[in-house]
Amino acid sequence: MRKWPLTIGILGVGGLALAFTLGQVLPHLRTTTSAIEVNINDPELIKKGEYVARTADCVACHTTLGGADFAGGLPMLTPLGAIYSTNITPDKETGIGSYTFDDFNNATKHGVRQDNSALYPAMPYPSYQIMPDEDMAAMYAYFMSGVKAVKQENKPSEMPPILNWRWPLAYWQAIFAPEREFVAETDDAVLARGQYLIEGPGHCGSCHTERGIGFQEIALSNADSEEFLSGAVIDGWRAKSLRGEHDGLAIWSTAELVDFFKTGRTDITAAFGAMAEVVEHSTQYMTEDDLYAMSAYLKTLSPKPGEPVTVPAKVDVTTQKLMDGDYDSRGAILYAEYCQVCHRADGKGVPRIFPALEGNSAVYSRDADSVLQITLSGGRMPNTKHDRMAFTMPEFINLSDADVAEVVNYIRNSWTNQGSTVDVDDVVQMRHFLSKKPKTGTDVAPDLSVPAAEKRSQM
Amino acid sequence: MNKSLLNLTDALGINARRLPVAVLAAVCAFVISGCDSPKPIERNATEFDLVKTDDANEDIGTYILPQDTSILLEPNADQIFYGKRLLNETKRLLPEYVGAQMNCNSCHISQGKIPLGDPYINSFNTYPRVMPRAEKMVDLAGRINGCFQRSMNGKPLPKESDEMKAILAYMEWLAQKTSKNNMVDISNAGKVDESLVGDPVRGEVIYHVQCATCHGNNGEGIKDSRGDIVFPPLWGDESFNIGAGMARTYKAAAFVKYNMPMGIQTKGLWGHGNVLSDQDAVDVSEFFTHQPRPDFPGKVNDWPTGKKPKDARY
Repeated sequence: MRKWPLTIGILGVGGLALAFTLGQVLPHLRTTTSAIEVNINDPELIKKGEYVARTADCVACHTTLGGADFAGGLPMLTPLGAIYSTNITPDKETGIGSYTFDDFNNATKHGVRQDNSALYPAMPYPSYQIMPDEDMAAMYAYFMSGVKAVKQENKPSEMPPILNWRWPLAYWQAIFAPEREFVAETDDAVLARGQYLIEGPGHCGSCHTERGIGFQEIALSNADSEEFLSGAVIDGWRAKSLRGEHDGLAIWSTAELVDFFKTGRTDITAAFGAMAEVVEHSTQYMTEDDLYAMSAYLKTLSPKPGEPVTVPAKVDVTTQKLMDGDYDSRGAILYAEYCQVCHRADGKGVPRIFPALEGNSAVYSRDADSVLQITLSGGRMPNTKHDRMAFTMPEFINLSDADVAEVVNYIRNSWTNQGSTVDVDDVVQMRHFLSKKPKTGTDVAPDLSVPAAEKRSQM
Repeated sequence: MNKSLLNLTDALGINARRLPVAVLAAVCAFVISGCDSPKPIERNATEFDLVKTDDANEDIGTYILPQDTSILLEPNADQIFYGKRLLNETKRLLPEYVGAQMNCNSCHISQGKIPLGDPYINSFNTYPRVMPRAEKMVDLAGRINGCFQRSMNGKPLPKESDEMKAILAYMEWLAQKTSKNNMVDISNAGKVDESLVGDPVRGEVIYHVQCATCHGNNGEGIKDSRGDIVFPPLWGDESFNIGAGMARTYKAAAFVKYNMPMGIQTKGLWGHGNVLSDQDAVDVSEFFTHQPRPDFPGKVNDWPTGKKPKDARY
């Protein structure tokens, strides 16, 4: 009997050692070498690479608020501790200046670092892996020659010991990010281009697709399953479903989607939170053709299984009650005091200035995280050259948790909205989460000075 | 193989045999940190000091800014809510008394609850008082009617009307029983350097960048789908007349600097103000105040002994 613990111990250590060794080998199976000779000084190639990098929105995660572009350091909060994005400027010591094209390609598409260790899947390489090597070559030229080298050491992760080992990630990659090629769903070149942008560089699924037990996106393409882009909660935001049901894009037209990607707003809604960052850093720079292709493709996605395309008709009695001062709930009194001046009695807001709350799929969407977060922390629309001003929502952090729940429930169930309800504990949890969440660019007020406006118009 | 494993664990200061313990500790730490259950919090009400009207240095307590939900506790709750609505939607509810496309709360930020945004917080206790413009005693209803005739370019509301009584009831409620010889230690308007000279050309540039999205390229404002005002016109026939304080460069500049635009900050109930320098505010105010606007026939009675401020329009 006394020998059993020793035997288990030896077996355990032996097994771990075997797993570790295999973990060292796995990344080698993912990497590729390319015959492409990249001329990193070709201005055309650099320019093309800059556009590809825009479509892939590298800057969003590899830059901190107020930090140098692409110098990294942005924390990503995981339940186990923060990990930090890395310096991808061409600095030789702290950045990727010593990367060959193959190193760059393997990191970006396969999640394997120059030293052959696996990257955390916070880097969306399962999406990027369908990008053609030619586009990667252009991006490589841009990062080597078009980006300013910044000397800034990478921050170590804050994962606790053992959980911060990288070799187990090789297994994650083998299981959840197997080799994948782009397969167009149709012969239509426009839709195929849209599908590619959404699935690949756009890495829309990083936020809009639910994650599974291994933190993997449960579908990487529409062909995988209809769970693809069917909505998820990330960073306290509800990244809404982009599929065809009522909570998704059923009420959106292709033209509205194009307008939204380009300007960050429509007459009904405005991008906020993480999506405001996406518009500000990425989609506003995309060509009209690419924006149309993405929008048209999204509109082909079928409804999420089991979710309705329409909801039963509901008559708006809210508007008249607010106009008559017939405050039928505490939520109504709070709405009249804090919200009505901008979002109006009819909940329709002011087109392109204050988003509508009535008939806005981000408001009535399945869970209330986004509405809770923006109510407590405020936010701002993306800044683009298409509108003179980017407006904010102020934080209502001084309201009681009970009142935030009241007013959020009121908004999500007034006019013709038919949302679920939250309770006080949901507000408590969100406030607790927000107390730890780092601020991003769209959490701070816009620069309204005349010089800033001139700069914006030249973007 | 074993060697590399041991090196790794040694480097981490962990004995390989105690791995399960380490994992357990990590999991426990995670579970514990994830389980500190915070409690619901109450409203973090804005508070201001109370001072005596004759001795501003004496600390006599605190004024707590009330939330409208507490109106329900008042015996005349309906009247107070009515007053609040009249202040918010003056044009829609009292069209025969309001000539301009303006509401009282077009200028009185967030229902008169914000310092530097023309608050009503002290109004109930400040009047009657001698107004510099009229150079005579004016009571609160009279002062409110000054706004009806000037800023809203309309007609005085009868003092005995239910509407005037409701407006007064809201202001009385907002005073929160502050005693007559006390006041809440806030300023109604912010300061701008009045020695600055406004440049209307520069002001027009600022106007188009920071004001025109809401107030219109031609100062016409924005109405909602029902024709009710969202953003008031800043000049033209539907704007305030030249007798309004807002028609005066420095009064307008003090308002604009601390309160405009709205919806551009993440702090404050309207997310408003504090983006312009004094010079910016004076320039843009010089520009919009001097655009065409209705006359004010009652102007002949203002400043009867000639103590006119330098930005008076007549």
